[in-house]
Amino acid sequence: MSASTVPPLPTLARDAHIHHVMQALSQIPAGMISLDSSRMLIIFYCVSTLDLLGALEEKTTPAQRDVWRTWIWEQYVAGPFGTAFKPGTSMNDSTPHLITTYAALLSLAALRDDFSRLNRPGVLAFLRACQKSDGSFASTPPVAHNTPQYTLADADMRNVYCAFCICSLLGEPAWRGIDVEKAVEFIGRCRTYEGGYGQLPGCEAQGGTTYLAIACLRMAPLRHSPEPEPRLSAQARAHTEHWLVHNQDAASGGFRGRTGKPPDSCYCFWAGAALQILEAQDKIDAHALTSFIAHCQFAYGGIAKAPGGFPDPYHTYLALAAAALYTTHLPPTSRVYASAAGWTLAPFDALLSGGAA
Amino acid sequence: MSPADPPPTPYSERPEWADVVPVAQYEKANPLAPILYTDEYKDATDYLRAIVKSGEKSERVLALTEHVIRLNPAHYSAWQYRYETVLALDWPLDVEMTLMDELADLHLKTYQVWHHRRLLVLRLGLPAAAPELVYIAKILAKDEKNYHTWAHRQWVLSYHNDDALWDGELDFVDVMMNRDVRNNSAWHHRFFVVFQSGVRDGEEDRERVVRRELVYVKQQISLAPNNASAWNYLRGVLEFNKRPFAIVEPFVKLYTVPRAEDSRDIVDVDNPPPGSGAELPCVAALEFLADIHEAEGRIDDAAALWKSLGEEHDTIRKKYWEYRTLQAKNSKATA
Repeated sequence: MSASTVPPLPTLARDAHIHHVMQALSQIPAGMISLDSSRMLIIFYCVSTLDLLGALEEKTTPAQRDVWRTWIWEQYVAGPFGTAFKPGTSMNDSTPHLITTYAALLSLAALRDDFSRLNRPGVLAFLRACQKSDGSFASTPPVAHNTPQYTLADADMRNVYCAFCICSLLGEPAWRGIDVEKAVEFIGRCRTYEGGYGQLPGCEAQGGTTYLAIACLRMAPLRHSPEPEPRLSAQARAHTEHWLVHNQDAASGGFRGRTGKPPDSCYCFWAGAALQILEAQDKIDAHALTSFIAHCQFAYGGIAKAPGGFPDPYHTYLALAAAALYTTHLPPTSRVYASAAGWTLAPFDALLSGGAA
Repeated sequence: MSPADPPPTPYSERPEWADVVPVAQYEKANPLAPILYTDEYKDATDYLRAIVKSGEKSERVLALTEHVIRLNPAHYSAWQYRYETVLALDWPLDVEMTLMDELADLHLKTYQVWHHRRLLVLRLGLPAAAPELVYIAKILAKDEKNYHTWAHRQWVLSYHNDDALWDGELDFVDVMMNRDVRNNSAWHHRFFVVFQSGVRDGEEDRERVVRRELVYVKQQISLAPNNASAWNYLRGVLEFNKRPFAIVEPFVKLYTVPRAEDSRDIVDVDNPPPGSGAELPCVAALEFLADIHEAEGRIDDAAALWKSLGEEHDTIRKKYWEYRTLQAKNSKATA
């Protein structure tokens, strides 16, 4: 695209987006009751959105942030299988949950918690209890409910990603507490002929699970046999890159989650971040991606999955995260427009901050 | 229960629940992201918390968990307790499945609905598998690309791994494909059935299977040339079976020219031409031909195609095509 034909970007409605997530943190309407068991994830999206927009210190007081941290720590519980976070208050005595634990730790990190209350061996014991014999992770330890097979079907790529992120956060010794090689094998079984990864072995390649898989393969400590061995061959990498790049929709610039599906702002993150991890971020049209996201902004704040849709904290966070990853890769002319329109966001860690919806 | 129905009598006013002391949600003074519950939900979950605390497993618990689930199908604690209750009561699983038929249909996109279903199918064993495939087909007819539903089908098939179950799968794929040849879930399922779930009786001659799949995908491409799913399938069949892309070059070339050649009366099954209304050249074919050139060392020919993709036919991927050109030239230089 020549410089003169780059269309200017719609302005980043920063204040409106801040309002959207602050609203959700203060109250979620009854119509969204299905979020009752995933409040911690909503909190993660909202707090991380504020962090991305550089608004945490500007729009909240230290006392308020302290109250938030306190609430999150109140969900930290000790069970027979270690210590971790429960999904919220809906079941007063519910057991800890893996995806929730990931979301809680990342939210606390965004809130600059010092983690002095974290019992690291306790968290690691919980992780270990969640790992299954096929290498995957379930969201709760299987024997917690006297029904050994209960978590059988719920183990999937999301849980593996959360477990790997937690190991990364806990530091090097944590990796020795889980069976990394088994987990990596499980991820390999989720790979498909298209070059992406599905949620479970046998499932269709999907943008979200592909991001999770690629991030896991990057996080996993390298196997030395005897030389450090990359987790993906050059050929496999090129194949994944090919599939991801082809998911950018020519008409809108947005990314699809699966071949032939309509684009959706959340896949701008999943595909965009996966490409970033593969160091292939310069192989896509960053302007078209940013422009799609800018057009998904809802008039009264928040970002929707597609232009004209209604916003939610999940799409708001992921779309802004995608924009944060790609505004620095814009061609010079459109970068000028982007920064004039406010699209300059805080630097962002593509590896740990994906969330796992 | 439809949304228009008036809310049922609160549990707190029902004599049959008078023996239970409700347990309110314990939330301190400053909740984060609290949900504004309806009175009905608050009442039902107050009793659910009480039941989970007391450990009661009874028929009224099944009614209560069903109520909570209908209000919030993603309430995984309610599902979990319901499952434990079903087991403890030795509740007839076919009755539970009938309820699940209704709930899965209502809440297709809710993960927990499929999880519960999977647990029941697991307990019911092989006799339940064939009816389950019929049910899944019915649901997929309503929502052809639903990820949970396809995942459930793939699980049923691989868990039982029974020849009689696999037998019907290619016909099922055809039904889905006839409805929408661009449904990537159907293409993926075909690949899963043919190549990624073991070799079954009658399929041992892999040469014949590969030939059959190539004829199939070429036919589908000829009917709808600009179908990324079909081209990905063609690539997948060749890569998985370690066949060079060049073996389909004559076929691919038919789709890389602006206009189809004069229609011929006799169609070559190995090289079916694009239909008369096709939009040509086909971007996926140009790219495919460039890959063949690259693999055969004809880098300049490949680069010419990548240039035309980046500048004319596929401008959104301009940077990718530039990268491919650079990479091919570099690796040739260092070769």
